[in-house]
Amino acid sequence: MKNNTHFLLALTVVLLMPAFMQSGSLASEVLIFGLAAMGCNLLLGFTGLLSFGQGVFFGLGSYTIALTLTRWPLPMPLALLLAIAMGALGAAVVGWVAIRQKGTYFVMLTLAFAQMFYFIAYTATGITGGDNGLLDIPRPSIVVLGQTLWSLTSPWQFYGFVAAVFLLAFWLLQKVSRSTFGRTLLAVRDNEERAGAIGYNLKLLKLQAFVISGAVTGLAGALHAMMTGIAPLSNAEYHTSEMILVMTVIGGTGNLFASVLGSAFYVLMADWLSSLWPRWLLLLGLVLMAVSLWMQRGLWGLGDSVWRRLRSKLETKHE
Amino acid sequence: MQRRQLLQLSALGALPASMGLFQSAFAQTSGPIQFGCPVPMSGAFAANGKYADLGMKLAIEQYGTALKRPLAYTLLDTEGKPATAVRKVQESAQQQGARFFAGGILSSEALAMGKEAEKAGGIFITTAGADEITGSDCNAATFRWSVPTFGAIEQTVRPLIELMPKAKRWYTITPQYVFGDGLLSAAKNIFKEKGIEHVGNSYHSLAEKEFSGYITNAIAAKPDVLLLLNFGGQCADTLRQAVSFGLNKNMTILVAWASGLEQFESLGADLCEGIYFGAQYWHTVDSVLNRDLVKRTNDSFKANPNYSLAGSYICTKLLIDGIIKAGSADQKAVIAALEGMKYQGLTGEEEVRKADHQVLKNYYLLKAKAKAKMKNKDDYVDVLSSGKSFLPIDQTGCKKA
Amino acid sequence: MNIYLLQVVNGVGIGMLYFLLAVGLSIVFGLLRFVNFAHGAFYLLGAYFCYQMMQWDTSFWLALVLVPLAVGAIGWLTEKLMLRHVYDTAHEFHIVITVGLALVVQELVILQWGPLGTNVAVPDVLQGVVMWGSFIYPKYRLFVIGFTAVLAVLLWWVLEGTRLGSAVRAGSESTEMVSLLGINVFRIFSLVFALGAATAALAGVLAAPIRGAEPFMGIEALGVAFVVVVVGGMGSFGGALLGGLLIGVVQSVMSTLWPEGARLMIYIAMAAVLLLRPNGLLGRKE
Repeated sequence: MKNNTHFLLALTVVLLMPAFMQSGSLASEVLIFGLAAMGCNLLLGFTGLLSFGQGVFFGLGSYTIALTLTRWPLPMPLALLLAIAMGALGAAVVGWVAIRQKGTYFVMLTLAFAQMFYFIAYTATGITGGDNGLLDIPRPSIVVLGQTLWSLTSPWQFYGFVAAVFLLAFWLLQKVSRSTFGRTLLAVRDNEERAGAIGYNLKLLKLQAFVISGAVTGLAGALHAMMTGIAPLSNAEYHTSEMILVMTVIGGTGNLFASVLGSAFYVLMADWLSSLWPRWLLLLGLVLMAVSLWMQRGLWGLGDSVWRRLRSKLETKHE
Repeated sequence: MQRRQLLQLSALGALPASMGLFQSAFAQTSGPIQFGCPVPMSGAFAANGKYADLGMKLAIEQYGTALKRPLAYTLLDTEGKPATAVRKVQESAQQQGARFFAGGILSSEALAMGKEAEKAGGIFITTAGADEITGSDCNAATFRWSVPTFGAIEQTVRPLIELMPKAKRWYTITPQYVFGDGLLSAAKNIFKEKGIEHVGNSYHSLAEKEFSGYITNAIAAKPDVLLLLNFGGQCADTLRQAVSFGLNKNMTILVAWASGLEQFESLGADLCEGIYFGAQYWHTVDSVLNRDLVKRTNDSFKANPNYSLAGSYICTKLLIDGIIKAGSADQKAVIAALEGMKYQGLTGEEEVRKADHQVLKNYYLLKAKAKAKMKNKDDYVDVLSSGKSFLPIDQTGCKKA
Repeated sequence: MNIYLLQVVNGVGIGMLYFLLAVGLSIVFGLLRFVNFAHGAFYLLGAYFCYQMMQWDTSFWLALVLVPLAVGAIGWLTEKLMLRHVYDTAHEFHIVITVGLALVVQELVILQWGPLGTNVAVPDVLQGVVMWGSFIYPKYRLFVIGFTAVLAVLLWWVLEGTRLGSAVRAGSESTEMVSLLGINVFRIFSLVFALGAATAALAGVLAAPIRGAEPFMGIEALGVAFVVVVVGGMGSFGGALLGGLLIGVVQSVMSTLWPEGARLMIYIAMAAVLLLRPNGLLGRKE
């Protein structure tokens, strides 16, 4: 029964948003960055790897879907798969190089990669459009046997599509995290030396984690590009990596649904606060400091403690 | 009538997908006309965004209503990122039924928003610089008030060559991206035509802050004129560092794309003295509308209007005038009303060119004066010349349907 | 004079400032094993405090002394009141708390001084250029080279020649040993963090007449500081010096060889060092 709770929670979020929110784009953004945060969490929470390179995979996903829907047109499902593949490939490259280092040096390497990718994307204007980015990305309807099944034109229609993809990805990632592979990753995170001593191939495990993370993040990037119709350079910027990391930490690194909480919190707060006060980044900074000092299990941890206290109160009442 | 509306509303409450459509149809016939101001309020371009907001505010408050409907606007913080900009335009169109957007300081966000505005059935007018906005990426919903690269170069490089016929060697410092290249190729064309020797060019990335290396290149090339093709903060950094190397004493410096008043304020008169600047707008330009704007801005904010404010003001004003002229807030009607519209603008007579939605207006060549000669705290420059230079339609690359 | 020689000299100028910017970050990491993403914020404060002092008509020279002290005090307080509490937690919280702090400082700066950058005047006595044949170089930049060189010697002396320095160096090897020897390790942590903040602020004061003061200068500075520290070796004073000079010279020479790639080269150098000599050029093996 417990196995399904998190998925049900995710489903609840997916269903609640259209009821309470007016903007389909904002709701889609929550889910899209939820995917990205989960990808980051797979590395951070599960494998103990703090990666500043998520922007690279996000950007690769965006650029790939842009190119495969405009320049070298492919049917949308295939284009999406290709974006996922490119994200995975990029992660394989970055991961293979980065995992040769540990701890802070690993973090610095991912940072260096993120910056390098940004400057390469900036320079290779033929492929990436440089500072302008790639524009005019369409949102093709889902067509089966010549019948238009699902038009994605309006923001809420697109949200439906994103929600479906998100739930599928969530379910798959849950399976991965609960599999033997997932539990081995946790062992690596907790005590790398011991895991290595037992005989696990650390490098391979970490690389696999990277590849899955890259795939999910690439998917997020592709969906984002379809939502906004553009693949901008800023998707590959250091700030995107930082933002994804922040969402993951705010949500809590304990489990996958926590990442969805983190992305929902960040996206909705940023949207709301930025309409109130131009200096809203100040508030975000304070939140980050508060989380680091007092809420290290993130929003999920907060919710969990509240839930526990409620339950114990209810239980004492029954006595 | 009321009961039917109520029933309709409650029925639609269960269908979020169609809510947007209903709202827009509803909003267009009564209720306020909603504007959006998508500009960076946080991030590196926050300064420009702040003034752009004030500009739209002035225009909206000045008119108050149009077609007997109140005017309202929402500030949308793009954070300087195109994806955020697009999303907020999408949201604003959905949630508030906004159809009229004036903003977009950065080219990357302006390009993206122009496309989104077209999709949302709205109109977007911008002051961003990229040629593609009214060139290869033009569309029916996008308009631009500022002069693109061709005009900026024509109205600065050419007059300077006339002023200094003996200055035959020019060196350029260019930001490496489409906009910079646009300025550079326009400059190179004039060089070829006038027999100017282009003694060298240094490209630099958009993230650069250290220009001493490029300045050293320039010194080694021994030019008569140093032409700076970057803008904003990078331009300020290059200029500051060039002056520290004493370049303003050895050669003439021309900044093709200056930001205007706020740039002079942050650099100071001493640093800018004797340097030539190209500008889209200056607050002492003698036109009826500009005098009026200067008065309004001084009354409301106790300061003279700078380019960000003025640009946003006139863009908003154009939209409102277009709505009034069209007699409706319908997208196609307003576009038709704006096309070809001739009016008295901030720079004198201005016209919205029908084929590419580019406003034909003056661009100015300014020369910064010595601190001692300033008559008031904003009197940084003398306006040397101005004029209108625009590429003929067939050369802009704009193929509007 | 050959342009490449000119670029090398210019590179040394840039590099010395990079060294000053990075040395604090490096030493803090060496002793506290703490990656300070707010390092750029101290640099930012240095530049703005300098600007403010000059607005109050105090001399640049006074600012050069007082501002690092003030920012050092802020650094000391930050470590004692806040950062100390996250030492025992996971990596990511070190980073997240300092990222948050950097954002708060940046926005406070904007609230106080506005989002537009400002100029900071070069002190009168250092205005103008030095000419030597076709070699033109601003007097102020020469001053920066000289001043940071003296400072480097001073810092080196503190680290190698004083008891505090020995405690810091020993603490980098093992904080347990140091505390067993009766030295208050926590007090050293605060002092070192304050020193890191002070050197960053000093770099900000020196950079202000060259670069002006603008609210986002901390972000760019942090990026450069990371590269220098990684290339030179985290925790190594000599590494910060060598790394700074190397990066400065590479950047300057690239301006002539491959101008648009100048920035990219810096990060390629960083990645190359991380792969080939992971502990940096002068770093110690972990």
